[in-house]
Amino acid sequence: MVLENAPLDFLTWLFGGAGEIGALPRFLVTVLVLAVLALLVGFLTALVRYGPLKAGDLTYRVVTNGIAELARTSPRRIWAIARLAIKESFRRRVIVALVVFFLILLFAGWFLKTDYRQPAKLLLSFILTATTYLVLMIALLLSAFSLPNDFKSKTIYTVVTKPVRAGDIVLGRILGFTIVGTVMLAIMSLFGYLFVVRTLYHTHEVDVSRLEEVVDADGNVVGKTGRTTLNDYHRHEVELDADGNDRALSTNEHYHTIENTGTPDEPKYVVSGPEGFLRARVPQYGKLRFLDRRGAPAPRGISVGNEWTYRSFIEGGSAAAAVWLLDGVNDSSLRTDPEGKKYLPLELIVRVFRSYKGNIEEGIQGSIRLRNPDNPNVKSNEDIFTAKDASINTFDIPVKLYNGQKEIDLLKDLVTKDGRLEVVVQCLDSSQYYGFAQPDLYLRLPDASPTWNYVKAQIGIWVQMVLVIAIAVTASTLLNGPVAMLFTVSFILLGFFREFFVNVATGKQVGGGPVESLVRLVTQKNMITKLDQSFGVQLMKWIDWVLRQAMLSLAQVLPDFRSLSTVDYVAYGFNIPTNKISQDVVVTAAYVLGLCIIGYFCLRTREVAK
Amino acid sequence: MAGETVVETRALTKVYRDFWGRQKVRALKALDLEIKQGEVFGLLGPNGSGKTTTIKLLLGLLFPTEGQALVFGKDATDVSKNHRIGYLPEESYLYRFLNADETLDFYGRLFDIPHDELKRRIDNLVRLVGLERARKRQLKEYSKGMTRRIGLAQALINEPELILLDEPTSGLDPIGTREMKDLILRLKDEGKTIVMCSHLLADVQDVCDRIAILHQGELKELGRVDALLTVADVTQIRGRNLSPQCQDEIRQVIERNQGELVSVEHPTTTLEELFLTIVRDSEARPGRRAVVTDSQPAASQN
Repeated sequence: MVLENAPLDFLTWLFGGAGEIGALPRFLVTVLVLAVLALLVGFLTALVRYGPLKAGDLTYRVVTNGIAELARTSPRRIWAIARLAIKESFRRRVIVALVVFFLILLFAGWFLKTDYRQPAKLLLSFILTATTYLVLMIALLLSAFSLPNDFKSKTIYTVVTKPVRAGDIVLGRILGFTIVGTVMLAIMSLFGYLFVVRTLYHTHEVDVSRLEEVVDADGNVVGKTGRTTLNDYHRHEVELDADGNDRALSTNEHYHTIENTGTPDEPKYVVSGPEGFLRARVPQYGKLRFLDRRGAPAPRGISVGNEWTYRSFIEGGSAAAAVWLLDGVNDSSLRTDPEGKKYLPLELIVRVFRSYKGNIEEGIQGSIRLRNPDNPNVKSNEDIFTAKDASINTFDIPVKLYNGQKEIDLLKDLVTKDGRLEVVVQCLDSSQYYGFAQPDLYLRLPDASPTWNYVKAQIGIWVQMVLVIAIAVTASTLLNGPVAMLFTVSFILLGFFREFFVNVATGKQVGGGPVESLVRLVTQKNMITKLDQSFGVQLMKWIDWVLRQAMLSLAQVLPDFRSLSTVDYVAYGFNIPTNKISQDVVVTAAYVLGLCIIGYFCLRTREVAK
Repeated sequence: MAGETVVETRALTKVYRDFWGRQKVRALKALDLEIKQGEVFGLLGPNGSGKTTTIKLLLGLLFPTEGQALVFGKDATDVSKNHRIGYLPEESYLYRFLNADETLDFYGRLFDIPHDELKRRIDNLVRLVGLERARKRQLKEYSKGMTRRIGLAQALINEPELILLDEPTSGLDPIGTREMKDLILRLKDEGKTIVMCSHLLADVQDVCDRIAILHQGELKELGRVDALLTVADVTQIRGRNLSPQCQDEIRQVIERNQGELVSVEHPTTTLEELFLTIVRDSEARPGRRAVVTDSQPAASQN
């Protein structure tokens, strides 16, 4: 699970602080700049057509009328238009999309196997992505074609000659399509959830013939071990206590509980359905630093050749290490297991890079230990573990640890007074590498509700849908149907690749701006070849500079679509911070507001009967 | 408030330009019009003379290139004037997936008419235009006449003071035309102002008080119908049961007074009257009708 930018606290995000400009000031500045620009452009076009006096009068009247009319938007009229949009959608057979969704579910049931090591991740990711694409497509098709259809069939004449403000028309349509989309989304998400739960459901039986008794030091039977039958392409190891109850151990992300409904002498084992598939982990992250193979601090680990530099690697069999500094560790961070013992729940995501294949069935060995950040000599003994690539390893650190032979206490000795704790991870197999990024180690706080997490993911999809509807309706006030659709799609795509777009605009991307990269393409020079210093090249660079400024300005209004998607959180089983959802909702509301105003002016200045 | 100017255009000009700003069509050239409250005003002209353009300029659907269009004293592009006007477009552009009730309900809501009042008006209007039996059918199943009628109903939903009709009788059968004309006269009796444009001259003649004739965007004639159409120098006398001797005597009187006898003949009723009479009869008494055969030509007087 990749977390490139941790979400900021809501108020810091909104108003600014800690070195970041707040979202609200940025929004106001953007609105102001856009308004001034629009005014200027409008005045200049009027100037060209009518001369200075009339142009000034026209601009003034448009502005004052606009503000007066915007203030007079009537909720009743907006609702009337919204109802019309809803009726139009249903009579245009938008239900067909639901049929498509159910067809997808049907086929998914046949083709998606649950023998995959992480079935929940596959199913959830599939369902959520399918829902997202379907909902966005419906929203796009409905919104982009509705208003242009009105213009083409001239039904707009009968509407515009009623006392309807242009703002009512735009906002009413956005509201109507949002309601339709929300209903579709709700139905799809409900059935998607049921589908996931049903597909994941399976049970096993205890393989009685293979049960072995576990004997303690005194010769008493304290339990049994064995395994379950092979169902759904996997089996579990089984641990039973003396009465025959306990659990089938975790494999493929889930476990089962076993109950003995018979007597201890004549046991009849009943295995429950799968548990633990749907989780919403709440991680508390720390800060990562690396030590190189000699043990000296290094800014990053080794690069093993990945272009994506999110993770860096430590070499096995050397003093290289990844060291996390956790903060805020105290007694409330500890959890109690069913037997009453307290432990510190740590989880570690490990990426493995093998420089030789070795035994691919076994993982690569590594070690983890805890340390006092102020006093590095106070540390726990190494805990050896085996990690396979992209696995999540859970460590339940007990309170009582050992430093060599000496017994130490986790909270009193290893954690500093202000709650800091260091975790040191090393790789043991030489010539093999472990890769880490900062969010790969975390303290696991009590889980949040997975159902609520699923709902939050749906809210994330809803937010994307509202954005698409708003952009499409605004585009359709000026453009005809297919062009409005293309415009919206390009807007969204640009939003998806916004980071790359900004990198090109600021010059951080190797290979220059748009014109230069085109030239390089055509002359077959790669990104880092130096170009001759001819006049043509200079001219090209100047044009690029202008274009890049335009791109930078455009990037200010592009929505960051990629960060709006929360599918990964749910698929990997992490809690979506409520913070993030509230930020996304506020951002979308800001976009809808701005787009409505733009749509109003576009519609108002358009000659309806042209 | 009779005599107040409802619609006024001052040097209203509309030039359609193409994308590059070059002139394509001069649709309207410096039109000056004044329409007073309570009159039925007809805009006449051949196709392409600028009638529909004028109506669209008055509604704010088009912006004037030069000059001004004022409705109720306010600029035509002011949205607030729409509270007091009704518009029946040329082809009744309505949403085809709604039925009659939903259509009137939708447009009524746009006027902020209170719910109960709206229901009452919808019932009245549906009955007025004779669409009770088709209330719940979607508009896409309507015939042309029915679409015109629901179009008229939505134009009247807000009980407007000014009604603009674009070709109200074109495409209607004689019954529908008669009903439309009756309705226009009724609205006039209620004190409403009606502006209609048409190229069906007979219909305009029947209902309008004043007319304007446009040709190629210019106003060619403006005035009251009766004043314009009266032939001042001919007198028409109609009498019943005039014997041939009486007719001879009248002829002599005219000759003695140096008048010119233009014609003596039986006046004709209109084809419309005949048609409507036959249809009404047929609805009252279905079945074969006794047809007067053509074997004996009627004795003609000369």
